[in-house]
Amino acid sequence: MKRSWWYRFVFLLFVVVISGISIIPTAFDFKETDNFPIKSKINLGLDLQGGLYMILGIDFKKVYKDEVKGYARRVEYAIKDDKGIILTVGALDESDQLDPKINLNVTSVTDVEAVKTMVHDNFNGFLRVTAETGSTVQLALTKKLKTDIEEQSVKRSIEVIRNRIDEFGVTEPEIVSQGTDRIVVQLPGVKDIERAKELIGKTAKLEFRMVNSDVPMSQINTWLEKVKAQGIEFKKGARFSDYVRSVNEALKSDLPEGYTLAFERARNVVDPNAEVQMSPYVLEQSARLTGDDLEDARVQFGNQQNQPEVGMTFKTRGAKIFADITGENTGKLMAIVLDGNVYSAPRINGKIPNGRASITLGGRNYNSQLKEAKDLALVLRAGALPVQLDFQEQRTVGPSLGHDSIEQARFAGIVGCILVFAFIFVYYRVSGLFAIVTLGLNVMIILAMLVGLEATLTLPGIAGIALTVGMAVDANIIIYERIREEIRSGVGFYKAVEGGFESAFWTIVDANITTALAGICLLNFGTGPIRGFAITLLIGIFATVYSSYFVSKLFFEFYMNKVEGQDLSI
Amino acid sequence: MFQIIKSDTKINFAGMFKYAGILSTVLVLISLGLIFSKMKYGVDFRGGAELQTKFTEKVDLNKLRSELSTAGFNGISVQSIGELSSNEYLIKVPGNEENLNQVTEDVTAALTSHWKEGVEIRKVDIVGPKAGAELRQSGFLAMLWALLAIMVYIGLRFDFKYSPGAIIALFHDVTIVLGIFALTGTEFTLQTVAAILAVIGYSVNDTVIVYDRVREHEAKFVGKRLVDHINNATNETLSRTILTSGTTLFVSISMLLGGGLAIRDFFMAFTMGIIIGTYSSIFVAAPITLVFDKYRKKSESNTSGTVNA
Repeated sequence: MKRSWWYRFVFLLFVVVISGISIIPTAFDFKETDNFPIKSKINLGLDLQGGLYMILGIDFKKVYKDEVKGYARRVEYAIKDDKGIILTVGALDESDQLDPKINLNVTSVTDVEAVKTMVHDNFNGFLRVTAETGSTVQLALTKKLKTDIEEQSVKRSIEVIRNRIDEFGVTEPEIVSQGTDRIVVQLPGVKDIERAKELIGKTAKLEFRMVNSDVPMSQINTWLEKVKAQGIEFKKGARFSDYVRSVNEALKSDLPEGYTLAFERARNVVDPNAEVQMSPYVLEQSARLTGDDLEDARVQFGNQQNQPEVGMTFKTRGAKIFADITGENTGKLMAIVLDGNVYSAPRINGKIPNGRASITLGGRNYNSQLKEAKDLALVLRAGALPVQLDFQEQRTVGPSLGHDSIEQARFAGIVGCILVFAFIFVYYRVSGLFAIVTLGLNVMIILAMLVGLEATLTLPGIAGIALTVGMAVDANIIIYERIREEIRSGVGFYKAVEGGFESAFWTIVDANITTALAGICLLNFGTGPIRGFAITLLIGIFATVYSSYFVSKLFFEFYMNKVEGQDLSI
Repeated sequence: MFQIIKSDTKINFAGMFKYAGILSTVLVLISLGLIFSKMKYGVDFRGGAELQTKFTEKVDLNKLRSELSTAGFNGISVQSIGELSSNEYLIKVPGNEENLNQVTEDVTAALTSHWKEGVEIRKVDIVGPKAGAELRQSGFLAMLWALLAIMVYIGLRFDFKYSPGAIIALFHDVTIVLGIFALTGTEFTLQTVAAILAVIGYSVNDTVIVYDRVREHEAKFVGKRLVDHINNATNETLSRTILTSGTTLFVSISMLLGGGLAIRDFFMAFTMGIIIGTYSSIFVAAPITLVFDKYRKKSESNTSGTVNA
């Protein structure tokens, strides 16, 4: 054998050994603890191991609205502090939801100039004056600020979601942005899908609002009866927030000035399908403290009986406000409000001057307390998502389906491959055996590359591997048919083999490049499982060209050397 | 030597183009009609929700339907999927952006409260209408890009006279596969798009191999007519075309029959794509090059005519 053949043979051995070692942990399902140099196994996609896939869309309209309101307040305070000018924040013009405008009503027309100068000097780059009529100045956000808000919102949302997911203990979650206004969340293998969704879906602002305890429960119940008589009821399938809004509208004249009605929704722990219980609270309309004022929150264990509780730390500004609130309202309830719903309403036991507080949880057993504490801490710490997210796409796969899918696809794939192998052997005899060996090698290389590239194997991916086998035979067939043609044209076996490989090369390359082009387009388009198909298809192309062409050639060179002068079995 | 196609086969494929051309044109036109009138989009593109459920015991479809409608859910459709004995049902929930999640949760709750342990929610797909529209658009674009990339590649690697034939053949294959989908009422899903792209890759593969041989003949036997090159090339590669289609079909049909529900759509489209793609690379792609070649020669001689005059 020529020296170059030996080089190529050594390279082949190298490929076989590396591929073999890479797929051993997957093939024999090794554990982390097993004593084997390679730990990594093939990642199974969501569709195979079960899990949750979501695309969350960000609604910036609400963000802009909140931001423009917030800025109007800042202008109000700034001009009051600086110039002693009093103005009131007026109506919001939402005719263009992507560019809401807000009116500032100045008491005296002569102060309008001062307001405009203030906006121009102190809010340059943030706010722009869009109109001016009499004593009213209309403001809107600048384009630059909106772009910043968008970027920040996406970034923070991803951070917040990741934070929550990390707490949830999912291995290898993937949380990435897609475009400018979407976030893709993939949680493979997550068991409790409902809880995961619930955690991610907690999209509201976190607020601390005082409960008005002067209104007796009986009064609230009378109100609710009255509202119910008007036909306002929470129905399945409706948005809870819509219900709360209509209740408050109906009770506008009954509720004390500056207060709204909110609910705590407690799921029945024993029977999760039972009606959700709603406990009403009368809350201060505006929040004096928000999630922004909170530094940290975590589960800690109380001194007595080692009870789980939630410890909170406020930021400097927050600590001051918190001290005031707790001082003024000792004995009252302070509601932790998330998305307009009361999450918990702990009683204030006394003034807390240092910004460090703890929330003890009432009742039930240790485990449910611990879970409650964890959830509450999570809600507090991760802060709320800065924006409203809506679930645009949501796919969940139960683990049993994934398991069944693997079994079925693997079985069918193996049957298909055996059919191909049998056919190739009957058709091409000894040469067919070579083809079968190279196809086996092909699959091994694909699997090894999946491990090496840390790519994910999905169900369409398994389909891709099976198809690669079906199509990789093509390369062998092209070569063999060429060799047969050469033999028929009367050249010797050696020449026929050489000629066959030579003229088949570019045909094989061309055919595979066109397939690769389709694969690349698919990779760009695909989401989730479909990407898995594109990936195995592309990897398969490399593996095919190597094993079906180069390795086959190696075998043939060896074979021709041994059978010289004999009949070629093709 | 075991042969399926005899090595001295000489079929006048180019001559049959008259008939193949008519057949293909008719099929493509019918398919286009079906696609635009009857194509059913799956949940991926239409938006809405689908729940794949499995019951431990046989469930009367009507009972399931009435159970859901008495629970207050309207417009929900239930169909049996897979083998009857597996008791698997697909529940389709309509809804809008606002309440899709909630309705789906409520349906799930209704099922589990009624059947308790007897029901397993195996898979839930919820796609908002906005996401559906975007998926539709990007799926269409992916197919378009694939066609474009292949056209350019063939133009560069071979000659631009081959590009139209390859692209028309691909368009032909894709249209007819989709036409069959529309005819049989099979839903068009994300998986279908993946399969269509795989068909594009596969079908062009076949075509390229014939073109490759034509080019080789053009270089080897100068002076012969293009029609002879095309006929010879198609005949010489015929056994390879049939063999490869055969081995690919072995796998594709095994997966279609035994691979499970989850990838049935994919292999349904792919199996049809292989059959149609094989037909088109023999009867459509290569012969159509002749048409374009004739047209080009005509316009060339016309141009030279005016120059001479």
